[in-house]
Amino acid sequence: MDIVVCMKQVPDLQQIRIKDRQPILENIPLVWGDIDKNAMEEAVKVKGKLGTGKITVVAKGSDKLQQGILEPLAMGADEAVLLMDPAFAGSDSVGTAKILAKAIEKIGSYDLVILGEGSTDNYSGVVASALAELLNLPEITYVRELEVEDGKIRAVRNMEESFEVMEAGLPALVTVAQEINQPRLPKFMDIRKAGAKPKHEWGPADIGLSTEEVGQKARRVETLSNLAPEQDRKNIMLQGDHDKQVGALVDALTKEGVLGR
Amino acid sequence: MSEILVYSYADETAFELISASKGFAGQLGATVSAALLGEGAGAKASDYFAYGADKVYVSEHPALRDFYVGTYAEALKQIAESGDVEFVLIGSSKRGKELAGRVAQKLDAGAITDANAVRAKDGNLEADRYSLGGNTLASQVITTPKKVISVMPKTFELGPKEVRQGEVVKLDLDLKEPPVKVVERREKAGDKVNLEEAEILICVGRGVQAKEDLAMIEELARLLGAEIGCTKTPASDWQWFSEERMVGLSGKKCKPILYVSIGISGQIQHTVGVVDSKIIVTINKDEKAPIFAMTDYGIVGDYAVVVPKLSEKLKSPR
Amino acid sequence: MAEADEGKVEVVIVGAGLAGLSAAYVLAQAGVDTVVVERGDYPGAKNVTGGRVYMAPLRHYLPGLWDDAPFERHVTRETLTMMAEDASTAITLDSGRFRDEPYHSYTLLRGTFDRWFGDKVAEAGAFVLPKYRADNVIMEDGRVVGIVMGEEDEIRADVVVAADGVLSLIAEKAGLRKAQEPGHYAVSAKEVIELPAKSIEQRFNLGPDEGAAQLYFGALTKGMLGGGFLYTNKESISLGIVVGIGSLLEKEPKLEVHELLEDFKGRPEIRNLIAEGETVEYSAHVIPEGGIRAVPRLYSDGIVVIGEAAGLGLNVLLTVRGMEFAVASGVMAAEAIKEARERQDYSASSLARYQELLAESFVLKDLETFRHVLDFMENPRLFGYYPQAVCDIFTDLMWIDEKPKPKISSTVIRKGLSKFGKWATVRDALRVLRI
Ligand SMILES: Cc1cc2nc3c(=O)[nH]c(=O)nc-3n(C[C@H](O)[C@H](O)[C@H](O)COP(=O)(O)OP(=O)(O)OC[C@H]3O[C@@H](n4cnc5c(N)ncnc54)[C@H](O)[C@@H]3O)c2cc1C
Ligand SMILES: Cc1cc2nc3c(=O)[nH]c(=O)nc-3n(C[C@H](O)[C@H](O)[C@H](O)COP(=O)(O)OP(=O)(O)OC[C@H]3O[C@@H](n4cnc5c(N)ncnc54)[C@H](O)[C@@H]3O)c2cc1C
Ligand SMILES: Nc1ncnc2c1ncn2[C@@H]1O[C@H](COP(=O)(O)O)[C@@H](O)[C@H]1O
Repeated sequence: MDIVVCMKQVPDLQQIRIKDRQPILENIPLVWGDIDKNAMEEAVKVKGKLGTGKITVVAKGSDKLQQGILEPLAMGADEAVLLMDPAFAGSDSVGTAKILAKAIEKIGSYDLVILGEGSTDNYSGVVASALAELLNLPEITYVRELEVEDGKIRAVRNMEESFEVMEAGLPALVTVAQEINQPRLPKFMDIRKAGAKPKHEWGPADIGLSTEEVGQKARRVETLSNLAPEQDRKNIMLQGDHDKQVGALVDALTKEGVLGR
Repeated sequence: MSEILVYSYADETAFELISASKGFAGQLGATVSAALLGEGAGAKASDYFAYGADKVYVSEHPALRDFYVGTYAEALKQIAESGDVEFVLIGSSKRGKELAGRVAQKLDAGAITDANAVRAKDGNLEADRYSLGGNTLASQVITTPKKVISVMPKTFELGPKEVRQGEVVKLDLDLKEPPVKVVERREKAGDKVNLEEAEILICVGRGVQAKEDLAMIEELARLLGAEIGCTKTPASDWQWFSEERMVGLSGKKCKPILYVSIGISGQIQHTVGVVDSKIIVTINKDEKAPIFAMTDYGIVGDYAVVVPKLSEKLKSPR
Repeated sequence: MAEADEGKVEVVIVGAGLAGLSAAYVLAQAGVDTVVVERGDYPGAKNVTGGRVYMAPLRHYLPGLWDDAPFERHVTRETLTMMAEDASTAITLDSGRFRDEPYHSYTLLRGTFDRWFGDKVAEAGAFVLPKYRADNVIMEDGRVVGIVMGEEDEIRADVVVAADGVLSLIAEKAGLRKAQEPGHYAVSAKEVIELPAKSIEQRFNLGPDEGAAQLYFGALTKGMLGGGFLYTNKESISLGIVVGIGSLLEKEPKLEVHELLEDFKGRPEIRNLIAEGETVEYSAHVIPEGGIRAVPRLYSDGIVVIGEAAGLGLNVLLTVRGMEFAVASGVMAAEAIKEARERQDYSASSLARYQELLAESFVLKDLETFRHVLDFMENPRLFGYYPQAVCDIFTDLMWIDEKPKPKISSTVIRKGLSKFGKWATVRDALRVLRI
């Protein structure tokens, strides 16, 4: 049972500062997409249950992956494919899917491809579907329970109005929802050992693409502006004991005219 | 003449998109068509015309019995290519979102999902969507000949329903049986709440550890005349609430006059759903919680103590 | 580098501050298998301490390392301000020597600086592990053999280096540091206020890369032991206030440091300097002030304590010092560990070498020299009476009205005697001679 997990490194959103409505991204540390960690955790669980197989983590991003990749490897991935070539930079979602697809084709053997329901920063959900299309794989999204047995998967996915129990043969692609599991925090010694696991760095040429076909050059979506909404808040911290506080709150809200409407 | 093709799993959203597309069509010199897919879909044609579709494509192909993203994407591709479709507008439900990526790939198109505003500009459609998890709002255009945009429900008003006729195009599409079977569907308890309209909204977060504490919060809601919403965990993980009540990036976007957060840290994926509130009140025991930065009136304390006191105060304002 | 044998490393350092990173750097360069555990997202992530560092000791203990370090501005102007209720008198030193390279001191922001240092340490071959917090030490028959992280993770090592800063949890768990008395600590509140480089250079009359360091004492601490500081960074100002916990606890009515800081920011002397600035960081932090008396046991079987974890810091009216102590103690601990490694003996007696090195160096010598500073500074007159007196005299000198003005000398002598010719003040003067 060979599993490919696609994971994205994103800026730690909690630390992004807004200045003059512009997001300030330099020096913001990169972290792994929250839901992507659920994807890796699920892969490790599946492999654990079946007792065989190989997990390969595939990530397109900056050279920060060099350091960051230790975490998924420590979580239980056996190998890593790093797509850090500068030419890849600036891809949009469909472009990212194309690069991932070529890399996964090169990896060759895979029964299951697992992604997150959405990336923490973009949350477009486009990459997974485009990837499934490119690899011509059956696709089950928003999975909150996953069972894998002899050549097929059974998944419960979480839709607006219902839970859908779905079945598909392998190979297949699934995207997981955050509630499917609790990603493990890797132990120090596992992080230590992760350094020794095989890492492959592939550029466009390695996966049969020209630099014209990837990254910024291949964008199909153009961003005209990207600004934070204006916000001005009173930021009043109500002082005193709780009775004083609720009293002050009720007075304030009455003045604001939002009570007893 | 180029076409705007509308498809949504939920008809309501389709009608909103058709209503809006009528406006765009004028500016873009396009016509508005819609896709009706699945068993008995054809029957809905008249409603689609009534909201303004000039043309509907109907396919009741057996392979479209259940919604499967791959098959539905293939259907939309064949429809788009049968006509002169430039824009595909899809209702951005979970199904619509997964559909968008696959349709885009099939049409060599660029895709924008979860658009919360769309406008016609210079012969193209410009869409807004949240970026950086909700920190920013990006305005984007698609530069490929064909364009796929999935649009959030309630982004547009429902237009007037008129008695209109239109062209029905019955297609027999070339589709294979889906490789994914729906073996069971467990309906969730229906919850017809409409948080987007709520004037006063209380949201419950992971800080509210005990389900029985919801009682005190419901009382507060009664006193304030508030609807109750929540962050992700109480909905997806604990299932205390239906996802109809989840507020944020992957939930509802609300603009209440008063928003009260209880036990919520203020991570961006939640707060993006309430930034437009007029007044924000926060009850959180950790004075360092990021949500205080976007709060008008903050109380640092344990909700289990503060909420009952607040309710008392509301009952008997001195 | 020596690989981890059976899940063990040679040295685990708790805390990627200046002390921990300095030790790690030296050890890594010697090929010692070293891990630095840091609870922050990255070294310096939440480290808002420190504002200005004196370079001579850094250059001496880690030569050549600092050339491409991300310092903010080199300090070319030192100002000491005595604050009275509604007046203040400042003494400024603007010396040519401050403009000679190598520069005497730099301002810095720890978030940027420690991160850079962390990368250097990683390049040198140490393993820096961010986002992990050490919660305890592993003790086996009386000796420290590693640290515990969270529920079920641990790192075993020949030596644990406690570099976890003031109020060191690790030194305490290892039984080296006992609960301290309030008198040994000061609390500080600090803000980093963003301003365009141009405004900073205009407001402080600085050239590009030139910086100002300003220290304040007097009315701003309402008679309590302490003072304020202001450092100019490239595009921000570090503004803070420090108050002895002891005197803060005795203060009636109760006062919070951040209230003091707010008042301080409101003073006309400060207000205009930070106008239109945006506060991007706020922090409260503890500073050791016990001097030599507050220094815990510095080593034991399998453990050494460095930097502020070891209470190595000196906060004398004119200077807040700690970073160079951190670097120096880190380097000396590393040297001692290297020697212990030669002997393959990490017992207390072997690690005692660290204490020797410290004792021979400026670190413990300076702390010893300033042994009496604390008693001297406990003196409220210093923070209320004297600044007021100086400002009064100065005001009289400067004040012109319609009445005939007495001779300057007589003003000074008359006022001077009336204000300083008391026993108390003479005693204070004598005590000054001891520091
Ligand atoms: C792609 C993506 C999409 C997402 N979409 C959404 C979304 O649409 N909506 C959403 O909500 N989340 C969403 N999330 C999850 C989001 O990132 C946060 O995990 C979530 O919002 C945190 O919810 P919380 O504030 O309730 O919990 P926490 O972050 O755990 O905060 C709990 C708070 O409660 C406080 N507290 C604890 N006990 C008490 C007490 N006794 N009294 C008072 N206060 C107390 C704590 O101080 C803390 O601040 C999304 C995440 C991702 C990656
Ligand atoms: C407001 C203020 C202003 C100052 N100004 C100056 C100045 O101008 N000049 C000067 O020389 N000195 C100054 N100092 C003192 C100086 O900052 C300290 O002496 C110096 O930072 C000590 O370095 P350190 O490495 O020993 O400790 P720290 O710099 O405090 O580093 C300790 C590190 O350990 C980490 N840590 C703590 N506990 C754990 C744990 N359990 N597990 C993992 N990691 C942990 C922390 O996150 C931190 O990164 C100032 C201090 C303050 C508070
Ligand atoms: N640059 C990337 N590298 C690897 N995987 C990615 C990348 N971007 C997106 N993904 C995967 O695609 C999923 C959905 O991303 P998105 O379409 O951006 O919401 C993520 O959860 C990841 O699993």
